[in-house]
Amino acid sequence: MRLKQIKIINFGQLSNLTFDLPSEKLNLFFGENEAGKSTTVAFIKQVMFGFYLRSSSSPFFEDYKPLAHVSPMGGSLFFEDENGSTFELERLWAKGDKTRRGILTVKKDGQIIPENLFFDQIQNIDGNFYADSFIFNQDMLGQVASLSQADLLERIYYLGAADSSKLLQMRDDFEKDAGRLFKKTGKKPEVNQLLKQIDDQSEQLADSEKQFQDYEEIEHDFNEKNQELVQEQQALQKLQEKAQELSNMQKQLENYKQLQDLRTQVKDVEFNSTNYQKAQNLIAQGKNLQENITNLKTQLEQISDNQNFDYDQARKLVQKRSELLQWQSEYQSCMQKAQQFEIEKQELINLNPDLENCLDLSETEFKQMKNDYNNLPKDDSTVISDENNSATNIWLIVGAVLTIIGIIWMISSLVEGLIGLILGIGLSAYGIMQKKKISQEQKKKQHVQQKISEQYRNFEQKYKFDPRDLDLKNLASQLSRYKLQESSEKANTEQMANLNSKVVQLATLIKNALKKPISANFDEMLNAIDDLDDQIDQVRHSNDKKAGLENNLTTQEQKLKELNLQLKAIFAHDHVEKIDQYDKRYQESLAQTQLRTKIETLENSLKDQLPRLEKVATNQENFVQEQNELANTISQENAKINSLQSEVAQLQVKMNNLADSTVVFEAKQNLANTETQFENASKEYLASLLAGKWISRALDIASNERFPKMLASAREYFELLTGGRYIDLQLDKKITVVRADGKKREVKYLSRGTAEQLYFALKLAFAEQIKDKINLPILIDDSFVNFDDHRIGYIEKLLNKISEHNQVLIFTAQKNLVEKMKIEPLTFEKGSN
Amino acid sequence: MKFIHFADAHLDSPFRGLSFLPSKAFNQIYQAADQSLTKIVDLALKENVDLVLIAGDTFDSNHPSPRSQLFFAKEIKRLTDAQIQVVMIFGNHDHMKMTDLLVAPSPYFKLLGNNEEVESAHFTSKNGFNYQVNGFSYLNNHITEDKMSEFPQNGEDYTFGIMHAQEKTTTASQNVYAPFSVSEIKALNYDYFALGHIHLRQTLSEKPWIVYPGNIQGRHINEMGAKGCYLGEINEQTKQTELTFYSTSPIIWQEVSVTLDQKLSKNDLQDKIVKNLDNIKQSTYFSLRVIGAQYLTEEEMDLVQDTDFWRSISMQLAFDSQLVDVRLESNNQLRLNDSDQEAFERAENEIFTLDELKKISKDWANKSQLTESLVQNPDFLAEVKELAKVKMASKLKGISDETETN
Repeated sequence: MRLKQIKIINFGQLSNLTFDLPSEKLNLFFGENEAGKSTTVAFIKQVMFGFYLRSSSSPFFEDYKPLAHVSPMGGSLFFEDENGSTFELERLWAKGDKTRRGILTVKKDGQIIPENLFFDQIQNIDGNFYADSFIFNQDMLGQVASLSQADLLERIYYLGAADSSKLLQMRDDFEKDAGRLFKKTGKKPEVNQLLKQIDDQSEQLADSEKQFQDYEEIEHDFNEKNQELVQEQQALQKLQEKAQELSNMQKQLENYKQLQDLRTQVKDVEFNSTNYQKAQNLIAQGKNLQENITNLKTQLEQISDNQNFDYDQARKLVQKRSELLQWQSEYQSCMQKAQQFEIEKQELINLNPDLENCLDLSETEFKQMKNDYNNLPKDDSTVISDENNSATNIWLIVGAVLTIIGIIWMISSLVEGLIGLILGIGLSAYGIMQKKKISQEQKKKQHVQQKISEQYRNFEQKYKFDPRDLDLKNLASQLSRYKLQESSEKANTEQMANLNSKVVQLATLIKNALKKPISANFDEMLNAIDDLDDQIDQVRHSNDKKAGLENNLTTQEQKLKELNLQLKAIFAHDHVEKIDQYDKRYQESLAQTQLRTKIETLENSLKDQLPRLEKVATNQENFVQEQNELANTISQENAKINSLQSEVAQLQVKMNNLADSTVVFEAKQNLANTETQFENASKEYLASLLAGKWISRALDIASNERFPKMLASAREYFELLTGGRYIDLQLDKKITVVRADGKKREVKYLSRGTAEQLYFALKLAFAEQIKDKINLPILIDDSFVNFDDHRIGYIEKLLNKISEHNQVLIFTAQKNLVEKMKIEPLTFEKGSN
Repeated sequence: MKFIHFADAHLDSPFRGLSFLPSKAFNQIYQAADQSLTKIVDLALKENVDLVLIAGDTFDSNHPSPRSQLFFAKEIKRLTDAQIQVVMIFGNHDHMKMTDLLVAPSPYFKLLGNNEEVESAHFTSKNGFNYQVNGFSYLNNHITEDKMSEFPQNGEDYTFGIMHAQEKTTTASQNVYAPFSVSEIKALNYDYFALGHIHLRQTLSEKPWIVYPGNIQGRHINEMGAKGCYLGEINEQTKQTELTFYSTSPIIWQEVSVTLDQKLSKNDLQDKIVKNLDNIKQSTYFSLRVIGAQYLTEEEMDLVQDTDFWRSISMQLAFDSQLVDVRLESNNQLRLNDSDQEAFERAENEIFTLDELKKISKDWANKSQLTESLVQNPDFLAEVKELAKVKMASKLKGISDETETN
């Protein structure tokens, strides 16, 4: 891959600068210090592999000058491959771009292509690889100078591998990591620490696993103590039973004392229960008889109350019943007659109402009325007509109308109007005169009429009836009939009064007999006679009863006397005066019977213990002492049991604690966790170790592959670089160098400067070695080589040799090198190329 | 007749592969196996089974903690109280004396084959179905002799075998757990052979049944998925047996991969991880595999390996689930320049051999028993190799990548 053109738009202090490289072999850039040589080297590397815009310093020459962030930054490189195709790599960075690597555009023969089409041709190496293998300048020199002798030797040895310096760094890092994690004999590294921890925790686990043994021992203890406890509890129970027995004995002692007391109370009582029973019966019978007698007497007293009843008078009155019925019938017939008269009188009055007004008139008064009637004038009353009165009114109206017409007419024709008016007034005046004449005639007629009417009115007032329709003859005949009826009625009324007086007499007699008031009325009197009849029956009945009662009473009184005699005989037999005494004796006998029952019961209940109780009762002090001693023993036994129980409980707690204990599990889990941590740390350690070895081995393989092939060119480069002091390189298991004088030296005995030169020789040989796969320009800065005059020939040879297989870009400030190389140099002045 | 078969309860066993113990998770972890066992007993009671077979390693060690012993005794009592026959053997972890077992004596509890001798026990189910169980217990942690020849041939009754054992391998040093071959068991012609020891649930044969039920609670990322017991139902006429697996473990382990195909921010990374751990139905312990780890920056790489970061992720998970492990994997070849690529590949082939690895890790491996056993562990070595690759890939990304991130 040949670089043909470098086109800088802005990069570092350079801007708008283009170099066309004339040669596919050697190209010379000439410029003073700070002219831009190093910047151009950085440009070439960074356009290919990305800008390096970090603020921190770069490990390799990019921090040579802080890159100004001029926007846009970058430019292009133009390469030509073996087939003559041109690749343009343009990398630009503008403010605001996300990536700081710049944006790369790759064109092949002017067409944009994917960038890997270019990088595939250089085996996809990265910037470090390029810098490490193709750039020889002050920075690389500095890096090498800072290596230790041993590291330098290793680098020399591993130069066969690409990227060896970076890989070596990685390997060292891995080894450092591994060493940090584990040391064969250390204590601090993590893995060592964890191992120690595992040992400790395993011991803890073993300890905790003794728990089971502990548990078994405790359980054994527990069972023993429990057994002991059971025994002690049984002993206690026996003691308590004995104590109970004593306490029972004490209770029985009380009973025994009671028994003794009761026995002293026993005595004999004289009491005949049969006689007592008889006396009781007799007294009861006597009481009954006495009650009967009192009862009979009361009944007799009640009966004698009916004594003042007049039995014969009553019987006479009862016999009057038929006579009274006769009177009643007569009286009713009189009553009917009286009614008949009244009806007939009423009919007469109804036939002629005027009769009523005449009833009170005497005979003379009636004749007077006859005369008065015949003296009354004829009635000729007339009605006065008012015909004339209406005729006069017409006159008045016509006159008034004419007068009004006349007045109206006067308005149109005075003469005719005036005539009308006068005619009207005249007619009206005639009308008024006519009216007055008629009114005077009427007043005379009215006066005569008034006088006749007055006579009629006076008659009516005096006799209460209208004379105009009176039939006087008829009236007189009816009045005489009426008077006849009145006299018959009077005779009837007298007969009734006679009957009444008889009835009243009889009523008085009945009232006296019944001793209660009655009225003189037929029905009530008949009822009273019935009552009297009943009373007669009652009196007869009660007299019979009284006789019976008196008989009974005599019998009962006799019986009572006999009973009292019998009772007295019994009392005398038993030497008792009164029944009270007898009762008392009975009670005493009862009390004694109860006493004997009690004694018997007590004796029965104490039965077996009686002999013992008799002894105890005689010596109570001993008994009390026995009790106290027993109580003492019991309390000691209780204390023993309590202590045993608490021991058992403690053991139980221990067992429970063990039963609930997660100690074993915790110890196991902790150990398992630590083991996992240990495994993980060990994995880290072993993986780091392995990775380190892996890199070493890969470097070995790569180097061993390439070293023999590199050796021929490396020898030549080494000779040129050392100015001919060393002439050969040999590779057996180790590298040896051969001096010009033929002496061999192992690399480790080389001076520092020579060792560095050997390193550069090998690097150049490596670049040559991989040229078939990666052919990129080698960039050489003049600070890299020693240009003293006697060596300049060697340098010329060296550069020509390198340029045989790779395009070489030399950056120099040395005029003599330019002259010696005989090449037109490229300069950093604008427009100069 | 119904029976339950489980094994490898490993009561009191810790969870492995946790480099830290989340305090909230402590109780969860230490009760996990207990809870699983309780669920199995619940199932036995609910299904009213006739028999429970316990095929060894009930306890994690031959010195089990009193707590786990008492807990186990309590659970067994629930079964024997319900007149469910329990037949148990000891395994290589709980090789202990029968007298050290705190289980209360009961006609319904039978420890089979004490003193490492095959023993036969005959029983009758509640329905009057006769069956026998043949098996043995461990008294030492290894049994190298051939136990198969000690087993009697199957009898008239339905016959169970019970054994804590591992299939024979070609590596003699591994044949220390009563080694057997499937053909030997088949030759016995038992109806059901209940195995224990291997924590992965697997059926070695269906006719006759030869079954590892797996352990009852996963304790490590290598023990992933649902764990529990088998419920067997025997047709008493045909003696055919049907098996159903019941998951009882309160916590399951799961491995989840997150593949990165480009660089991403810390927040996006966290979101991506949480999203991948989201699809769970119960308490889950996750091991996260970050594939494409070369896209992580060095800070991000430190971050994803930081337990504080795991905790912050775990806070966002349901069911108190936890992220407990992160492994990085590079899914890319080393990006070296082509001229070195070949050398690195050759070096890799040379260095990553077992011999070379052992040589390199010699100082470390000689340090303790644990390191010695780890260096024999192919999984461990594979992880070391992978980590070395990730580290290398990460370092080789070069300066160019760093400058991209502003």
